[in-house]
Amino acid sequence: MTSPAHDIVSGALVFTGERSRLGYRLNRMAMSLTQPANRAAFQADEAAYMRAMGLDDVEIDRVLRRDWKAMLDNGGSIYLLLKIAGSVGHTLQQVGAHTGGITPEALAERNKKA
Amino acid sequence: MAQIVGGIGSSHAPSIGSAWDKGLLQDPLWRPVFDGYAAARAWLAEQKPDLFVIVYNDHANRFFFDAYPTFALGVGDLHAQADEGYGKRDLPDLKGDPDFAWHIARSLVEDEFDPTICQEMTLDHGVLSFLPALADLAVPVIPLAVNVIQHPIPTARRLYRLGLALRRAIQTGPADRRVVVMGTGGLSHQLHGTQVGRFNAAWDNEFLDLLESDPERLAALPHRDWMERGGTEGVEMIMWLAMRGAMGPNPTRAFRNYQVPMTTGYGLLALNPDQVAVQPPST
Repeated sequence: MTSPAHDIVSGALVFTGERSRLGYRLNRMAMSLTQPANRAAFQADEAAYMRAMGLDDVEIDRVLRRDWKAMLDNGGSIYLLLKIAGSVGHTLQQVGAHTGGITPEALAERNKKA
Repeated sequence: MAQIVGGIGSSHAPSIGSAWDKGLLQDPLWRPVFDGYAAARAWLAEQKPDLFVIVYNDHANRFFFDAYPTFALGVGDLHAQADEGYGKRDLPDLKGDPDFAWHIARSLVEDEFDPTICQEMTLDHGVLSFLPALADLAVPVIPLAVNVIQHPIPTARRLYRLGLALRRAIQTGPADRRVVVMGTGGLSHQLHGTQVGRFNAAWDNEFLDLLESDPERLAALPHRDWMERGGTEGVEMIMWLAMRGAMGPNPTRAFRNYQVPMTTGYGLLALNPDQVAVQPPST
């Protein structure tokens, strides 16, 4: 599913109700990771945990591949993606850079130019 | 009789809290930010506040999209820290002020604002990132969360009016309190997309100017303008308008700082409120 172009501002997706609906299962799974016991279960077997949370194979695969851009494009909220990132040891910079198609190093350079 | 003794606008970001926890007060990158908080902290202490009303947003920690409130007011005795997905920080739970908070709830609803009223509220970096650097954490807090993360979100003008309503609510409060109102968020930042990492220091400074001198102009800006100038996440800057509304027509600036070291344009503003009398509710 593609994103409606009118909800893009300066190359960034606006998190609308439509996107929230699209990404609901992924975001719900990510929200569950605010509980330490759930983080441990997720880290022990990511695919099994996500399957139990009702995600389908395509959604699970995006997480396993750390495809942050695909997660975002398919309704992931940046704030929920950061909870998945925290559980798998990725940083805000890694997630953000991936969604922008640049390296974390390039993002760090961009930040310095503020 | 309760009175408003000050207003604070502040950025919030996990990185401020993390830098504070690591003690990076003298770090070359962080020192200008923390020096700003130290100066504002001294001013704040002089106001002798005994209650903070903090307008902020929850980042999917207390609330999820199964039921995401547009406005939510914390009326409990104690506000615990939320686990944002990577464990809790070493911070105390914050005290609430239930009687005063329920009064604010009644007053806001009479004024046609209808918050979700929360006897249990957990707080995330929207409050807890900057507050340890700014204030004594023993001061009770009434948190007012605003949805700025799942559109449709309230307009800038709605936030400004919320501030006007908060002013009336506080000034008719049921107990003798010295209240500081805070608005948090921003400033410009972009966490994702092809322009990830962009800032807009010119806009941030224009925003800080207009917040003092012409909040009506900011209140009139549509969301798209905020997002084009300050990023899709930078739209949370609208929450500063609630603080500004609570300050009355002609506040004076006590302190201002702006730095752009990392992920977010970091702004800090302290205002002395206009001491005009209570206004009747708008119709």
